[in-house]
Amino acid sequence: MSNTVALNNESHRNLKVITRRGAEYGEATHLVPVVANELRNLVLEYPVCITKDPNTGQFSLCALLGFEPGENLYLQEDNWDAQYIPMHIRRQPFMVGYRNPEAAVGEDRGAVITLDLDSKRVTEADAGGERLFDDQGNNTPFMQQVSELLGQLMAGMESTTAFLTVLSDSDLIEPAHINVQFASGEQKRYEGLYTVNEDKLQKLDADKLVNMHQHGYLQAAYWLGASMGQVRKLIQRKNQK
Amino acid sequence: MSDPIRSVVILGGGTAGWITAGTLAARFKKDHAQPVSVTLVESPSVPTIGVGEGTWPTMRSTLKKMGVRESDFIRECNVGFKQGAKFARWTTGAEDDFYYHPLVLPEGFQSHNLASHWLAGDRQSSFSSAVCPQESLCEHNLAPKLIGTPEYSAVANYAYHLDAGKFSGFLQRHCTEYLGVHHILAEVTGIVESENGDIAKLQTDTAGDITGDLYIDCSGFRSRILGDHYQIPFRSCKDVLFIDSALAVQVPYASEDSPIATHTISTAQTAGWVWDIGLQNRRGVGHVFSSAHTDESRAFRELAAYLKLGESELDKLGVRKIPIEPGHREKFWHRNCVAIGLSAGFLEPLEASALVLVEISANMIAEQFPASRAAMEVIARRFNETFRYRWDRIIDFLKLHYVLTKRTDSEFWVDNCDPATVPESLQELLTLWRYQPPWHEDFDRAVEVFPAASYQYILYGMGFDTNASAFGLSTSHRGQAQQLLQQKQDATQQMLAGLEKHRDLINKICQYGLQRI
Repeated sequence: MSNTVALNNESHRNLKVITRRGAEYGEATHLVPVVANELRNLVLEYPVCITKDPNTGQFSLCALLGFEPGENLYLQEDNWDAQYIPMHIRRQPFMVGYRNPEAAVGEDRGAVITLDLDSKRVTEADAGGERLFDDQGNNTPFMQQVSELLGQLMAGMESTTAFLTVLSDSDLIEPAHINVQFASGEQKRYEGLYTVNEDKLQKLDADKLVNMHQHGYLQAAYWLGASMGQVRKLIQRKNQK
Repeated sequence: MSDPIRSVVILGGGTAGWITAGTLAARFKKDHAQPVSVTLVESPSVPTIGVGEGTWPTMRSTLKKMGVRESDFIRECNVGFKQGAKFARWTTGAEDDFYYHPLVLPEGFQSHNLASHWLAGDRQSSFSSAVCPQESLCEHNLAPKLIGTPEYSAVANYAYHLDAGKFSGFLQRHCTEYLGVHHILAEVTGIVESENGDIAKLQTDTAGDITGDLYIDCSGFRSRILGDHYQIPFRSCKDVLFIDSALAVQVPYASEDSPIATHTISTAQTAGWVWDIGLQNRRGVGHVFSSAHTDESRAFRELAAYLKLGESELDKLGVRKIPIEPGHREKFWHRNCVAIGLSAGFLEPLEASALVLVEISANMIAEQFPASRAAMEVIARRFNETFRYRWDRIIDFLKLHYVLTKRTDSEFWVDNCDPATVPESLQELLTLWRYQPPWHEDFDRAVEVFPAASYQYILYGMGFDTNASAFGLSTSHRGQAQQLLQQKQDATQQMLAGLEKHRDLINKICQYGLQRI
């Protein structure tokens, strides 16, 4: 359940947000949405795949954290064992909403920071947690960071859509055939994940390649392909459990 | 090489002309460094008829091969998914009399004939619902795929219902923008032969002479080259299929979110039947009838009754009358001209055979494209043999829908069952099927327009009785059949739980589009 409201420094002045990691905050998940501008950091830790939104059929980017729903192999208690944690995890329980979502292109959609009041991260009690506002109602340094993070995330979501559209229009996306065998002998095959077809990428017309390069998409496409190698590390994590 | 075929000229810009242009141009582009040129000449003043708004599943590969995005096609041609046909009141004429001809084959059809198992059972559920999930999907108005299913892929096999007028415009843009088809808008004023009797050129009013090595006549009912010019005789089949008139009308939906039927509904009338096809923005409905068995005003009244409209209300929707001459030319390819579409022939739209014939004609020309004039004779002979066979099979298959009726409430149905009106080839098959259910070997060609499964769906949908084998069914046969029926049951449950309403999927496709993979 969620109860998302626009953040304001009156009614939310005394709220705190818990920033620890943990399954109790919904982090025991095997897929997490990610954005293109964090790929550089992500691919050093996680396999990053393309998935389809079951409700819209649209492609999005996801980091693979485990092999079945609810399995996050990077998370042990309150420790997330990685140098980099995806922005969608770190932004919780904040998001960006729009006062005027129907605005035409170029018009101000009235972006506001929103807060999920039902999130277990939100508390008024003293027990740890970061204040959002000081007693005068000014943003705390923590809130400042949240705001910057959300800015990056929003920009990232837009460039991700553009990136995936280019990949799709150039016919560069292919199903990723992931067959894994665990130490237990168990074999599994994963469907519904997609990646970049590097053969097709190499054979792309010169002007398309240049165009992709200028937008940074070429590098991102290779990162995506290379990140599939992280599946082996993910299997190791699973075997060590 | 002697006299290579370098250019194709297509006469006519309806669906037949553009499907042919797109199929050939895409093929040439794929295969050749210097593609054969494709030119389409279209009269600016001849309105296109827009035959049938229903297709066969073949249209998926036809469009895919042309490089059309399925999402664009669905958005721009008001397309709905078609999962087969529901035939109402064909057997007994009662209100609740219906059966389905779905597009999904019976479970395990490649290797196992479930018909004998079903015939030996209690026949509590209809044949189609016993052996395949699609009747349930249609009855629940569910789409044949998900928004996450790639373009042209299916969860349950499907074809399309489309707006034929929009479709030719859509294909025209695709063919001229992406496939290099030359489009000439001009009136053809003369057809000129060379000394050997081949077509040498088409004279036009505003675009000069148009020359080509192969001419494709897609000029519709006028059949300007094959019929008018070459006088290839027309072979009527009105003695078998009596339908010779149609009243067609476009019917708006009650509201924007009215359900869209995901199958063609064909409802038998006194002396014909009514088609009902759901597009995104309207239904296409029409009454086809035999003018020897009823008259236009009665047909009009029955159409109004079907639509639950008063006669003046129906009149306001603008009913079009279309004469139908059932039959086809004695041959389709003559000298350096081949006819595709209505210029080759036409049959009542009972099983959406018009567009599928266009597709397989264009495909055969593309695949066996004559490299030279000398080779053309051989290809033409093959083409004529193949399509004569196909027309005969389609006529048999359409007639099958009529001969199995138990209706005796009008001369139309009685006359249809008169053996004198049933082709011998069909009579022979019906004799065979009294003793054994249709199976792959009953037909000559590797690829049939209608597979043995289609005959099974019609026969057992209409209560035809095939004698049980005198030797009974072996335990292993029954075991396998049980297993297949269980598989079908499980698949049906999964689909009913997972698929969404037809209209909802169409809306999503219009909003988001389908992915290519």
